Amino acid sequence: MKISEEVLNNISSLSKIKIDEDIKPKLIEDLESILLMVEKMNKIDTSKIEPMSHPLDEANNLREDIAMHEIKRDNYQKSAPQTEDGFYLTPKVIE
Amino acid sequence: MNKEWESVIGLEVHVQLSTESKIFSNAPTKFGQEQNSQASLVDLGLPGVLPVLNEKTIEMAIKFGCAIDAEISSKAIFARKNYFYPDLPKGYQISQLDDPIVGKGKINVEVDNEEREIGITRAHLEEDAGKSLHDKYEGFSAIDLNRAGTPLLEIVSEPDLRSAKEAVAYLKKIHSIITFLDISDGDMSQGSMRCDANVSIRKFGDKKLGNRTELKNINSFRFVEKAINHEINRQIELIENGTSIEQETRLYDANKNETRSMRSKEHANDYRYFPDPDLIPIKITNEKIQEIKESLPELPEQKIIRFMEDYEISNYESKNLNSSKELSHFFEIVADKVSSAELAAKWILGDLTAILNKNNLNIKDSKISSTDMIDLLKKIEEGSLSGPGAKKIIELSWSSEESIDDLIKKEGLDEIKGEDEIIKIIDEIIKNNSKQHEQYIQGKEKLFGFFVGQVMKETKGSADPKQVNELLSKKLKQ
Amino acid sequence: MKDLTNLSLLEQIDGLNSKEFSSVEITSSYIEKIEEQNKILNCFISLNENALEEAKKSDSKIAKNKANTMEGIPIAHKDIFCIKDQKTTCGSKMLENFISPYSSTVYEKLFNSGTVNLGKTNMDEFAMGSSNETSFYGNVLNPIDHERVPGGSSGGSAAAVAARLCSFATGTDTGGSIRQPAAFCGITGIKPTYGRVSRWGMIAFASSLDQGGIFANSALDAAIALENISGFDKKDSTSLNKKVPSFFNEASSTNKDHIVGIPRSIIENIKDSEVKNNFYDSVEILEKSGIKTKEIDLKNIEFSLPVYYVIAPAECSANLSRYDGVRFGHRCENPKNLEDLYARSRAEGFGEEVKKRILIGTYCLSAGYYDAYYIKAQKVRNLIKESFVNAFKEVSSVMMPTTANVSFKQNSIQDPVEMYEQDIYTIPANLAGLPAISIPSGKINNLPLGIQFIGNYLNEGNILNLSNLFQQNTNFHNE
Repeated sequence: MKISEEVLNNISSLSKIKIDEDIKPKLIEDLESILLMVEKMNKIDTSKIEPMSHPLDEANNLREDIAMHEIKRDNYQKSAPQTEDGFYLTPKVIE
Repeated sequence: MNKEWESVIGLEVHVQLSTESKIFSNAPTKFGQEQNSQASLVDLGLPGVLPVLNEKTIEMAIKFGCAIDAEISSKAIFARKNYFYPDLPKGYQISQLDDPIVGKGKINVEVDNEEREIGITRAHLEEDAGKSLHDKYEGFSAIDLNRAGTPLLEIVSEPDLRSAKEAVAYLKKIHSIITFLDISDGDMSQGSMRCDANVSIRKFGDKKLGNRTELKNINSFRFVEKAINHEINRQIELIENGTSIEQETRLYDANKNETRSMRSKEHANDYRYFPDPDLIPIKITNEKIQEIKESLPELPEQKIIRFMEDYEISNYESKNLNSSKELSHFFEIVADKVSSAELAAKWILGDLTAILNKNNLNIKDSKISSTDMIDLLKKIEEGSLSGPGAKKIIELSWSSEESIDDLIKKEGLDEIKGEDEIIKIIDEIIKNNSKQHEQYIQGKEKLFGFFVGQVMKETKGSADPKQVNELLSKKLKQ
Repeated sequence: MKDLTNLSLLEQIDGLNSKEFSSVEITSSYIEKIEEQNKILNCFISLNENALEEAKKSDSKIAKNKANTMEGIPIAHKDIFCIKDQKTTCGSKMLENFISPYSSTVYEKLFNSGTVNLGKTNMDEFAMGSSNETSFYGNVLNPIDHERVPGGSSGGSAAAVAARLCSFATGTDTGGSIRQPAAFCGITGIKPTYGRVSRWGMIAFASSLDQGGIFANSALDAAIALENISGFDKKDSTSLNKKVPSFFNEASSTNKDHIVGIPRSIIENIKDSEVKNNFYDSVEILEKSGIKTKEIDLKNIEFSLPVYYVIAPAECSANLSRYDGVRFGHRCENPKNLEDLYARSRAEGFGEEVKKRILIGTYCLSAGYYDAYYIKAQKVRNLIKESFVNAFKEVSSVMMPTTANVSFKQNSIQDPVEMYEQDIYTIPANLAGLPAISIPSGKINNLPLGIQFIGNYLNEGNILNLSNLFQQNTNFHNE
């Protein structure tokens, strides 16, 4: 599959990763070569095969509805880039 | 409403399930706590954390499914819905796409005495996002993740609703189902129940649906009606002016009673759903479904019929008493303790409801307890308290800490005046109002009310109105 | 005094318990060696300042006869495992200043079994790489040849064990990240059944493929260590609620009831004749020691690489969305607005390989491509699993080379697909969720090579036993 600059810009925007103009040609080349390798799987007929999301579906672990009260906010916020009064701050969002 | 245009409405209702802990973490779900004090490592989406599903949420979803007669999926698959937003910590929301836990179902709603069946497309489990406060700090948005991970049941209706009024009736029905099932407190003011509406219009008779807009942020029954009506009118106006409707998300502003386009949501529509590899599909057995079905509490529709049969009250009264779980519960307690259930219905739906509405309170916050109500009604039944007296006590006790009995004594309502005493009072009143008495005798019968009022005033409401009427009509004609 | 760092884990446990030497002594020996060699090898990202304190505590426990199973044994953790109040970088600039507020289950289990943590090992960024060249903290050098790579992504752990800078080390394996570096560094590396080891606190790359495991100097050492990190964890929904047997007992039993499957068509396609010869030599060693082998046909295994490079990037594209500069991790300077905060924080915080994989994954999941890539890959994944399930009806394990070549020189592979091909023999076990082990099988031009045994579900004991048998008949693991 060929990746156009438009497609690259779209996935860059969806994944929120800024891509500098000067690396775009090489990046497109790399992505296309990966996709070319990936597309080899199209040789197999999978029309009657179910997709598989988990290697083992035996586990079915559920939690009992019990609340734990061990929230250590200050500890959790130690590595936070910007907080105020226990809030995380981001640049103002306009809705 | 416009006669030419038909509106087509579908609702997506988000119901917060009333679990102790969150859907994928063991953080508490309490509302109104200090910011980020209810968000665990999992809710914050820290590196390396993993979700584990709260089994109660599955049970609650199945309960709802059974109540609306829906198909329950034999497995529940969780998927990641990918988008970036500061109050969505992982950059994806764990939700359901394929195999929602609750499939197609239906509920009946009644508008203007006409019952209609509304289809429910699906109901699925997902996690709630946190909250962003945009006006707290200059230039910043403040993120509170206490709500992040609260279990939600998203109930999606078919586009079967045809008016804002119907939408409200539908919403009220959902509210009563979830509260009767005890799976949510349904409190819209705290966001326990939130509603998005998909609204479009078409010419009557058209089969094709028009372009729809999605209204977000509607958080009261009143606003649902206003927001939808506003949006319908906006669309009619646009189309009649030759403009087409843009498929978009709009935000309802309750203060201005208007909707506006949400720019922030415009680009975020390729959600790249895929099955969450951290969560194995949950198998739901028929036995489990059966077990839940059998333990289902009585639902409003069943209760309405039972009340009519057991308590011999009208359909109208029964419906109103079953408008909320707490109210129906309150009524049952009272009605079982007094001899006339009809009297209980009358007082609960009448004076008690009136004072609750006046104070914008729910029955569960009523200052008149069910015991107080039983007390009052028994006194009325015995004849030791008059109707107006009881009414007065309801009003007084609202702003008083004193007991019902103390208030009755204090107001001198404990003794109904005897016949002799009332006659004495009537004689006195006739003497002092001889002019009105004269006019009455000459045929101005309207003045009868004036005399009743005078007597009641003098007896501070402690006289039995029926008795007063009888004695007055006798005396006045003398 | 003898070099305590050259002892096997078993000998160290015995020596500590018989008080022949202390944990402080053995820990000091490793620390000295680390100080000397880490400057060159760069296998640690951070060292634990409290290592000697931990060793002292262990010694006092041993003195009081309160020793746990591996009391006082100095080990290293891949820097993908969160440790409370310690830096956990995952090899990324994104987490350069991240101090974890909690510990992973793997770390806690090893801590509770008495081990002393020496430090956290270098790795490819977010475990994405096969050469340890994508780490923000610099390349790790292969201790056997400093011009060459140790393999990846758990290159730091592999190099540290190979250079005897720790007794054993933890690692993670998503597509070969334990087995390939184990082969390149001439040591033993095992990835258990998916779900055997809890992923709680192990920073996710591709959740349906990631599995924690062990680097050690022999199959027996690996068995002891693996036993201590395995087991059900209610904090991980994919964790298997299955009893963990004594892997050590299973590994050291004299049972020779093996039938080892040899996927002939795969072996015949090995391009490097020396690798192929080494493989057949290894088969011969097994057969000579009385092990039965059987030719098998593993259908569709050649599609493992394409499938992996859809599924792993797709899962990672979502797993890495949490690094958004809001609650932890790198935040760019002076963000203009929210969009700018996201786009620049992520562009600056992630390295090129990580970004490439996020972009590929985003592409494969995006509207219009989902069925053609993601669903297709999931279906082929099912076929690959089925091939193994069928094979295990006839054989007790499957034998393959670990890698197609010996370690290569730093910066010698520039083409991404050529780098990805490093993992062609290791990826199938991850796709199927099967346990697999790599053990040394000799050298080519003085560079180590490994063979791989893939076992049936939950049958780690079987491949450990087979590996132990092989190691009893060879000396490659001690060279």
